[in-house]
Amino acid sequence: MTMTDSPPATDTAPAASSPAVAGLYDALTTTDHKRIGRFWLRSGLLLLIGAVVLGVLLGIEGTDAESTDLFGGDNAYFQMWALYRIGLALLVAAPLLVGLATVVVPLQVGSTNIAFPRAALASVWGFILGAGITVVAVLAGGGFGAVDRVTVDERDAIALTLVGLGFVILSLLLASICLATTVVSLRVKGMTLMRAPLFAWSVLVTCSVWLLTLPVLLANLLIAYVDLHNGPGTFGGDASGSLAIYGQIAWVVEQPQVYAFAIPVLGILGSIVPVSAGVRAARHGLSVGLIGLFGLIAIGAWSQPYFQNDGAIPHDEKFVFIAFGLAALLPVLGSMGGAGDTLRRGGDSIVGLPPAHLLGALGGGILLLLGAGAGALRVIEPLELGGSTDQVEGIGTLAVSGVASLVLLSVIVAAVGGFWFWASKIGGHELPPMLGRLALLGLIGGAVLLGGGQVVSGFFDTVNHPLAPPTEDAADALAVVSLIGAILIGLGALGVVASIGKAMRAGATADDDPWGGHTLEWATVDGVFTEAPAPVMSESPLLDDADHEGEES
Amino acid sequence: MFTTGFKFFFGIGVGLVTAAMLYGYTSGGNWTGPVSLGWKEGVGEHIGYGILLLLGVVAMAIACTLVFFRDADPADQADYMGVDDIEPTQPVTGSFWPVVGAFGAATMAVGLVLNTAVFITGLVIVGVVAIEWMMDAWSDRATGDPEANRALRNRIMAPIEIPAAGAAAVAVVVLAASRILLNASKNGAVVVAGVLAVVILGIGFLAASDKKINRNLVAGLSVVLGVAILGGGVWATVDGEREFHEHEPHGEEDHADDGSTEDDHADDGSTEADHGEDEE
Repeated sequence: MTMTDSPPATDTAPAASSPAVAGLYDALTTTDHKRIGRFWLRSGLLLLIGAVVLGVLLGIEGTDAESTDLFGGDNAYFQMWALYRIGLALLVAAPLLVGLATVVVPLQVGSTNIAFPRAALASVWGFILGAGITVVAVLAGGGFGAVDRVTVDERDAIALTLVGLGFVILSLLLASICLATTVVSLRVKGMTLMRAPLFAWSVLVTCSVWLLTLPVLLANLLIAYVDLHNGPGTFGGDASGSLAIYGQIAWVVEQPQVYAFAIPVLGILGSIVPVSAGVRAARHGLSVGLIGLFGLIAIGAWSQPYFQNDGAIPHDEKFVFIAFGLAALLPVLGSMGGAGDTLRRGGDSIVGLPPAHLLGALGGGILLLLGAGAGALRVIEPLELGGSTDQVEGIGTLAVSGVASLVLLSVIVAAVGGFWFWASKIGGHELPPMLGRLALLGLIGGAVLLGGGQVVSGFFDTVNHPLAPPTEDAADALAVVSLIGAILIGLGALGVVASIGKAMRAGATADDDPWGGHTLEWATVDGVFTEAPAPVMSESPLLDDADHEGEES
Repeated sequence: MFTTGFKFFFGIGVGLVTAAMLYGYTSGGNWTGPVSLGWKEGVGEHIGYGILLLLGVVAMAIACTLVFFRDADPADQADYMGVDDIEPTQPVTGSFWPVVGAFGAATMAVGLVLNTAVFITGLVIVGVVAIEWMMDAWSDRATGDPEANRALRNRIMAPIEIPAAGAAAVAVVVLAASRILLNASKNGAVVVAGVLAVVILGIGFLAASDKKINRNLVAGLSVVLGVAILGGGVWATVDGEREFHEHEPHGEEDHADDGSTEDDHADDGSTEADHGEDEE
């Protein structure tokens, strides 16, 4: 018996693919990172469909400021509005990213599996149960507060919502530990962090930011929970009204924290563009630095308007908030510039329509750029785009939601691009390219209309609360624009699901390396390393091999 | 030789203990209080002092563990054991415990809001999962041979698991059966109890009387019976107990010593007159 650990055997087959283990037992006990990742992705896609349906309903309701008939009352309308905003980040964008990372990152760093695979399995089931509890609790009359005051009847359902969301956060934290540990400690020999694939690096940065900031959100939920049960003000919060709970946790979907969900967009961009262009990435080291910088700027748990608006200077006029708002634009611009340079150098390799994965990567990058740009505009005080009326103090204008929509939809678009790029590693099937392009165009166009409409409406001082009356006539027209955007997003999401369904029905197996990839995941056969990866000498090890073979011949 | 992990955690431990001392002195502690852990005079603000000191001690304990296990470094381990190379561990095997743990934690979460009994049930599940998961994680890495690992794990855990699982199963069956009996009518409860006893006796007789009997048949019958009792118990719990009536006093002398306090008049159709006849 050994007393200490030793490295895993160079076993090229994942543990759970043993023929003795099958069916339901396998699904419930698997330690294969690809299966666990697929659980995350399926959950994320299911919740995405729910979110787009809710988004369309909210869009319809938003066009009629006079009534809230669609949801059966102000309270239900507010609860669904809050669920959509929080859910888009924590219940849709996060699981899609975690799922993609769980499948791809171990392979990118040359590992046969994710670190702590059992914990990874527990995290996905925890997420599924937590998300289920949250959604059911909101549908049962819970949510993140009530429009007037929380009644006794609503209290249990609201408490259940808080507990469910807390469970979701714990699961995301557990998954983050697994992913971060994979990148830190399971990299193949020679792969320094500077040589790690950009997606893997971005996942490490994202997980680190989540591990630093999401526990603060957990603490916010705890405060709200205690206040809910023991009376308002027990821990400083006031759980009696609509903004009392949502206001305490809304910072997670506002700048700068909302960028914490979008860090992998830069990683996906940095992984897909060089492969599509057929050249090495321009200034890989700079891209690594920019992603790291974006991660630093995305640490936003300090920015909590609910608790910080009691001073002489409003929260969004404080120097640090303005500095972070402006600085966020820099890494996104830099990464997009790098992607553009890489595409320019390898422009000849893209003939005809761009592939769906490139569309997703670039679309995600552009949406993130728009979101960060709108966020930067919002904090430039002389422009007075952050709200000039007293009504918006402490709440902000609809531009806050617009920035969040653009950023979070950039994550979804980039993740969908990632599905098409790494399809052979995720499910082993090639996804239909044309349907993919159409779906992505729907998602990108819808995101621009939805997020853009909200941002512009916010610049007209529309208040970031569903029941606040519009302050300008233009707000009504922009609400219609946002509704059209929500419908387009819905069509795009349906296109994604239809593509996956079509690919699974067709059953055609994808090539192991259909794009001529540069990083180690493309050296696997059916997602498994047939031999231990050789020591890595650069950020594009497969190009090194190709160069070496070329020199020999 | 001190390992890197030892140096890291021991350094943190020393820092935290020093911080505890400083905090103790600066928050009103006496000269001998913080260094004597409060044995001689006060330590100042005792909560902060206690937390810092505890964290420091834990960090030092981790440091000692790491140096004992040579930072889990295979090369060091091989050197220590005097062998050329350590047999590589096998990939982590599948396990139900992560899923059960997630359900247990979800049960706790729901119970926290809705019902204390549900919360405690979740807590028990999570506790069991913690122990089982820990043992699995240890046994997976015990040797390079999965069979030997499994045998090792079972040797330690089977003497605990089998009696605990048996006791839990008996408790569940007793609880479920009691719910069924309380739900059934007075005569029905007698019939259910009788049938249950006969079936259990029959299965026991089958198992004991013929050595050639198919074990799967006995196991299958037991599972079917168990599921039936459990399902019946859940249904009976949801449906509620039958209605119990206090006896109307016919006369103090008649009922003074019969001890009966409840009966089921609704289901068995008995009347006061019947009772009178029975008693006669």
